Amino acid sequence: MNAHRTSRLLWSATAVGFLAMAASWFVCGPARFWANWLVWFLFLFTLALGALFLVALEHMVAARWSVPLRRIPERLSSLLVPVSAVALLALGAVPVLYPGARPAAAADPVLGGKAVWLGLPFFSARVAICVALGLLAVAVMFRDSLRQDASRDPRYNVRARRFAPVCMAIFAVLVTQAAFDWIGGLEPAWYSDVMGVYLFAAAFLAGLAATALALLYLQGRGRMQAIRFDHWYNLGGFLFAMTVFWAYIAFAQYMLMWYGNLPDEVSWYQARTHGAWLGVALLLALLRFFVPFFALVPRDAKGDPRRLLWVSLVVLASHWIDLYWLVFPVLGRTPLFSWPELGFALFFLGGTLLWVRSAMERGEDMPVGDPFLKEGLEFRL
Amino acid sequence: MSETCAVLGLFESADALMEAVPRLRSQALGRLEAYTPYPVHGLDRALGQRRSPLGGMVFIMGLLGALTALLFQWWISAVDYPIVTGGKAPSSWQAFVPVMFEIMVLFGTFTAGLAMLLLLNRLPFFGHPVLRSKAIQGITRDRFALALEADAPGFDPQAARAALEAAGARDIELLPAPEPGPFLTASFIQRSLAGIAVSCVVAGLVMYGAVKLFPVLPPMAHMLDQPRLDPQKPSAFFRDGHGMQLPVPGTVARGHLPPPFANEEQAAVLVNPLPRTPEVLARGRFEYQVRCAVCHGVLGNGVPTLSAAYGAKPANLLAPNFRAYTDGAIYGTIVLGKNAMPSYAADLPEDARWAVVHYVRALQRAGNAKDEDLP
Repeated sequence: MNAHRTSRLLWSATAVGFLAMAASWFVCGPARFWANWLVWFLFLFTLALGALFLVALEHMVAARWSVPLRRIPERLSSLLVPVSAVALLALGAVPVLYPGARPAAAADPVLGGKAVWLGLPFFSARVAICVALGLLAVAVMFRDSLRQDASRDPRYNVRARRFAPVCMAIFAVLVTQAAFDWIGGLEPAWYSDVMGVYLFAAAFLAGLAATALALLYLQGRGRMQAIRFDHWYNLGGFLFAMTVFWAYIAFAQYMLMWYGNLPDEVSWYQARTHGAWLGVALLLALLRFFVPFFALVPRDAKGDPRRLLWVSLVVLASHWIDLYWLVFPVLGRTPLFSWPELGFALFFLGGTLLWVRSAMERGEDMPVGDPFLKEGLEFRL
Repeated sequence: MSETCAVLGLFESADALMEAVPRLRSQALGRLEAYTPYPVHGLDRALGQRRSPLGGMVFIMGLLGALTALLFQWWISAVDYPIVTGGKAPSSWQAFVPVMFEIMVLFGTFTAGLAMLLLLNRLPFFGHPVLRSKAIQGITRDRFALALEADAPGFDPQAARAALEAAGARDIELLPAPEPGPFLTASFIQRSLAGIAVSCVVAGLVMYGAVKLFPVLPPMAHMLDQPRLDPQKPSAFFRDGHGMQLPVPGTVARGHLPPPFANEEQAAVLVNPLPRTPEVLARGRFEYQVRCAVCHGVLGNGVPTLSAAYGAKPANLLAPNFRAYTDGAIYGTIVLGKNAMPSYAADLPEDARWAVVHYVRALQRAGNAKDEDLP
């Protein structure tokens, strides 16, 4: 399929998705519209943040193996630019889905005392600050790296290494804010210290899976041919490690709440592990842990691009199921999945792929100005 | 002088070693082994070593460990001695997972360590002939050695020496087979370890049997010697010397709040708080048939199921004067009793009384059905 036809297909998918989205507002009401919007916002936000985290991690620990493929997570992290607009629009969900921002909250004995924190003005201020911080991090990490392509100036590496810890701090704030406000705020009477780490594991996984897919896309076009088994192996190893980490965090949260059996904690799981939602939870455990874990256990599988292709697709699909399972139970006891969800998927996937396709043309495929590129290309396990 | 077990030659560089490997391998004079001061990339493949089976072993043993822990915990907590902990069901899989994880790691690491040392590296192997060679100083510093080792009875040391020379090796040595020592041999150590393992299993089984068969022997009997309250025995813990204490004055059991009325007239204004749902009516029917039907009859018509020798004459609840009772008045009668009927407040909690009121109303309507009640 040639590039022109692909882009026409993506544009029409986005347009059809947009129409379905608009129709779902009028047919199914704003609550379901905003729930879908929220899931896709968090999906793309965590994906872009995960990519940013990979870049910052490389600079912070002075990793060499990932220098040749660093440009890919850099390009993916530029998704934060359109996602910022999605984030600001998502504020429309706050009066609809978030009990703490409704007028009735003032009379509630629990929510009343937190009205300032949960209310729309301060909520919006936090989101705005986070969006600005995210854009700053992407600007410093990606724009300067692009400049190095032409200038070949090694001072960029020094600056990036100094900025990487700041970038990590920004990442931590953004992920925590998303877990705290966007997910925790849906049920403000519920507490979990682990939600931030849970979302961090999910973000890292999404960033890794998207990087692997983008790399495969470029290799399919005859680019990035210098990436060998050894690089794939490290990427697959990370994917494997974070799969286990996610399962560990998810189960730790579940088991402690199950054991404590406190009404304000366990009610969250009551809604998510009973009736049809139990099926979604089991599907999530299967696709987010068991399938990738057993697929990546053998040594050669971690460096096999064909294996990583479908595992990455499973990881991204399960990332969507994860967010769906976190957000949608506030709408009711039956999981809603029908044409509005497919319409949102068409719109956001089409739009994202359009953005990523053009982002993949920005700068050289590898950071040619980086003095450590040669070392990274010669990397052996 | 014992038999020659290996012929060893030195090379100046890793590249020279790598060049010699395929030439020596093709001649098949013995098992080819390399000794280098640091890992050389690609050497394992050049020597034709197959992929280590250790990963598969660890995987299988890890799964086995997880399964063992699951079955063991399920057996002790749900089969052998079921006990409710923290209000959870005895076979709650959630509580088993941490131990499953630990045992999985334990089995996996033991397998990795022991299989690597004992099975794959054939340790313990004391006095390896290469350690006594002259070349060992070079090997641990900056020389690269290849050795042809005897793997079959027909090993020819002179042919091996010639082949190594042809391949460019220097300082060729013929290494004698080591003399086996009396204790530090592989079989001795393995037998000792097996003995320890068997003793552990036997000791565990003996302990298990002792606890099961003789529970009154110390130290099991120490469970009995603990500070506690025994029934009908004095206790030094409370000032009055009683083990059991009376509840604090004014204590009210759940569902048994004292009624806010002293007679039927005051009760008559109360309103039934329960909805008339099938569940409530089913409960009312159950309680009615247990507590009330003995005297008032299953239909509520005052025909008792007791013998006629019992003197009392129970009320016919279907009679007009009782149909005129308010819900509150019936409730008051249940709580306070009437004539020969005692109070049922101690037997029926509050919501059960109101459920019985609903059921009595249903009986009254059924016993006085009108034409329009027919469907």
